[in-house]
Amino acid sequence: MPYNKQGEKEDNMKLNRRSFIKSAAAGSAIAAAGSIFPGISFANWKEQTGSAGQITWKKAPCRFCGTGCGVLVGVSGDRAVAVKGDPNCSVNKGLCCVKGFHVVQALYGKDRLRTAKVRRGGKMVEVPVSEALDIIAAKMKQTIKETGKDSVAMYGSGQWTIPDGYVASKLFKGCIGTNNVEANARLCMASAVTGFLTSFGTDEPMGCYEDIEHADVFVTWGNNMAEMHPVLFSRMLASRKRRGNVEIIDLATRSTRSSQASDKSILFKPNTDLAVANAICYEIIRNDWVNWDFVKKHTTFHKGKTNIGYGTEDHFKFKDAPEDISFEEYKEFLSDYTPKKVEKISGVSARDIKYLASLYGDPSKKCTSFWCMGMNQHVRGTWINNLVYNIHLLTGKISTPGNSPFSLTGQPSACGTVREVGTLTHKLPHGVVMKEAHRKMAAEIWDVPLTNIDPKPTYHTVEMFRALDRGDIRFIWIQVTNPMITMPNLTRYRNGALKDDRFIVVSDVYPTPTTDVADVVLPAAMWVEQEGMYGNSERRTQHFDRIVPGPGETMSDTWQIIEVARRLGYEKQFPWGEDEYIGKIWEEYRRFHDSPKHNMAPYDVLKKRSGVQWPFVDGKETRWRFNSKYDPACKPGSEFDFYGKKDGKAWIWARPYEPAAESPDDEYDFWLNTGRVIEHWHTGTMTRRVPVLHRAVPESYVEIHPEDAMNLGVTNGEMVKIISRRGEVTMKASIDGRGKPPRGMVFVPFFDESYKINEVTLDAFCPISKQPDYKKCAVRLEKA
Amino acid sequence: MNKRAKITTGVVIGFAAVCFSWTVVSMSAQAAPGVQEGFDWSGEKIYNRYNDTPLQAMTGTDGRRTLNTFYERRQYPGSPPIVPHKVAEAFSGDTAKCISCHGRGGYDAEQDAYAPVTPHPENENCFQCHVPITTENLFVESDWESVSPSRLGRSMMGGSPPPVPHSLQLREDCIACHTGPGAVAEIRVEHGSRGNCRQCHVPQVTTTTFERNN
Repeated sequence: MPYNKQGEKEDNMKLNRRSFIKSAAAGSAIAAAGSIFPGISFANWKEQTGSAGQITWKKAPCRFCGTGCGVLVGVSGDRAVAVKGDPNCSVNKGLCCVKGFHVVQALYGKDRLRTAKVRRGGKMVEVPVSEALDIIAAKMKQTIKETGKDSVAMYGSGQWTIPDGYVASKLFKGCIGTNNVEANARLCMASAVTGFLTSFGTDEPMGCYEDIEHADVFVTWGNNMAEMHPVLFSRMLASRKRRGNVEIIDLATRSTRSSQASDKSILFKPNTDLAVANAICYEIIRNDWVNWDFVKKHTTFHKGKTNIGYGTEDHFKFKDAPEDISFEEYKEFLSDYTPKKVEKISGVSARDIKYLASLYGDPSKKCTSFWCMGMNQHVRGTWINNLVYNIHLLTGKISTPGNSPFSLTGQPSACGTVREVGTLTHKLPHGVVMKEAHRKMAAEIWDVPLTNIDPKPTYHTVEMFRALDRGDIRFIWIQVTNPMITMPNLTRYRNGALKDDRFIVVSDVYPTPTTDVADVVLPAAMWVEQEGMYGNSERRTQHFDRIVPGPGETMSDTWQIIEVARRLGYEKQFPWGEDEYIGKIWEEYRRFHDSPKHNMAPYDVLKKRSGVQWPFVDGKETRWRFNSKYDPACKPGSEFDFYGKKDGKAWIWARPYEPAAESPDDEYDFWLNTGRVIEHWHTGTMTRRVPVLHRAVPESYVEIHPEDAMNLGVTNGEMVKIISRRGEVTMKASIDGRGKPPRGMVFVPFFDESYKINEVTLDAFCPISKQPDYKKCAVRLEKA
Repeated sequence: MNKRAKITTGVVIGFAAVCFSWTVVSMSAQAAPGVQEGFDWSGEKIYNRYNDTPLQAMTGTDGRRTLNTFYERRQYPGSPPIVPHKVAEAFSGDTAKCISCHGRGGYDAEQDAYAPVTPHPENENCFQCHVPITTENLFVESDWESVSPSRLGRSMMGGSPPPVPHSLQLREDCIACHTGPGAVAEIRVEHGSRGNCRQCHVPQVTTTTFERNN
């Protein structure tokens, strides 16, 4: 019991405290007279020597999630010593979450990587960073020579700064000429991207966080915002408190803190959100709540392929074949989704479905939908994104303040680096590799021959690690992420990485299960130890300065790539000096987006402000896209202009309900759902080194319904073995804990490297987005 | 002799209030515009709290909450403190529950303590910033260090009202923390019956002295 422990500690301090009270008593009598407590030293307070309490404050976006809260980093000497919420940042307006308030402590784990390491004779040996960079460049050259350019790969993440991702893309796609660039954002928001592209023809939300202050109804789709996007959740709660008539509906597969704070919690069976969304549209049409003026002017109807598979086999390929349909055909398609029929599929009562439809359908109510991993880590992730857009398009509740279908992101620069810079196999900073015009633009800005840029995409993330396992990829450089925890069906991919003739380079800040499989480890500068930019969920680019020096030989990921690029002979493409490179890279990158649809703020503006939204046109940020009142890219005279599509219209999609790749059966009779807790972010490599966060949640656990636990003969805290067709993990049961799964489901936070739950999960993915589904596979349980 | 020792000596000989207060920059907020939205410029919160709080509730302390325990629960001056007592695992941290004790304070038999009063009851998602601890152990040792907390009693002259040494962000309501039995002994004021705190105590936002620019 920690409380006993704390009690003991307090006993040890008694002397200290008694004398303290004495002086306190004396003090309070004369405090008003201006007396002073000299040199107070507090228990457990690790204080800088010679600290006079002098602090200067520097702005930065928080290091963790995609919300993009502004923080002020308190600096004393060359160390970060405190945090405040940045009141100038419109995202969080001065309030952070517990991770953000302690984010600076993530810099100071004792085991920070300070030097480079190279595997020699099976052992990791410290070497100077310059030597490690030589080894990396030589190995890349050799691999390209022996097995071709497509046998070397770069795997980054949405935690890359924008310059990190930009130079990675430039080196691999522009100079080396391989499209082997992916990022772990593929695992977290690829379905959001393909959802936007298929419905609107252009990526990223039309709305912004300010929608929260305007909306009357919030529906959170499979999204535990109280823990995952707490600052935005608090904005919702504050709006409800202030305005009184605001309703929050939690639509999810398990009960969470968000359910408790919502006005209504509705549970659906895994993957059946597809049916629920269609049933809402069915009801909207049946009751004639359709905004006909909007639908006729601004939308068209379409269908695509069905029974599209799950991608569990190597070399899986899928290409959709969109067809135009009429409204009548769409209506006919929806007849399979009456509330009654969907009640049977989803477990959501027909009454609740009608209630949801009545909220979306009420023309006097402004509606905002929020979602994140629940809809995106989904074997039909693209479809469910389409279907929620359908609801907003049929009712015309889009692109106006408070009416917003809003896809949240999980990483600080999933949007900024991966989606905008395009660090995915098929993407370029502007457009896709398949289109010649886009390749031409890249070749010109990058100053490389057009023929360098390969028009054929290679591997998406899951297929990239399959290629590494098969031996098609021999060299992979992994930066700022931890795939040896996050890959689904992990055992296969770890064994693949460990094979002979595979060369793994990992740049990171702490030792992780991924640095464990590395042949070379590079010590990276972290967060505010380098200059950079992130891009958050609402199209906001956020610049931060180098605020404190990094330890040892740490180097920014951008600079690591530049150093290797120069060793490969690309000095011409990477000419910048170390004191100016971020600004220069930004201004070069900005040329890709030079249009009213995507213009980015200049470097000096970014430096000054706590985040700037794009499109940034004539010195103004764009808060709502596709609405001519706010968005200068809209055709003049149009009310709405969905300019991402050639005809300026948004697409309403007929997408059916299809089941998950693997559902519970007689042998494996439980759903396994995975996710996060508020205290830990991603794989916990940073948050576990923050004392407060580790002490709150020191290890992972499996949430199980009390009746299921009883049948299993397990009580709270006892060990449960979770077994799937791929692997097993044994961990403590949490019964009636902070989250409660329904009967027949268990939930496991994935952050803990001691319990690698992804050895149990399945590497099935959405065939359109190629994003894996971490929320659904079949397991059985045993008492351990 | 390091700076800290110098300060100590200074204090001992009684000059510190005047001589050294400039060395201690408070943790205070930068002046506007670096102020959060909805900042209580007019001090309305204080007046409301003052009106709502019976005088008895603004007096007395059991002396058990001290600056020592105060800082023990924080990582740096101004960080959100942990929840130091046991809470049910399924507890969601919504205000209705936390606020039942921490809204107005008062004695809680289960904790055998007076509950500290939150200065920002308008924020409803308590567990967003305040988390309980379930272990004392660390995953990896930390090299974390912070600065000295603000010193007390930094009057410019003997007897003059000291400036506010901390940021008012999320801590605008003086009465919540500085009066009543749940208050930290060393920072509790004896004159809670005067409700217009900022009449005499002003935030110190800079340590520079005025100089003409021309």
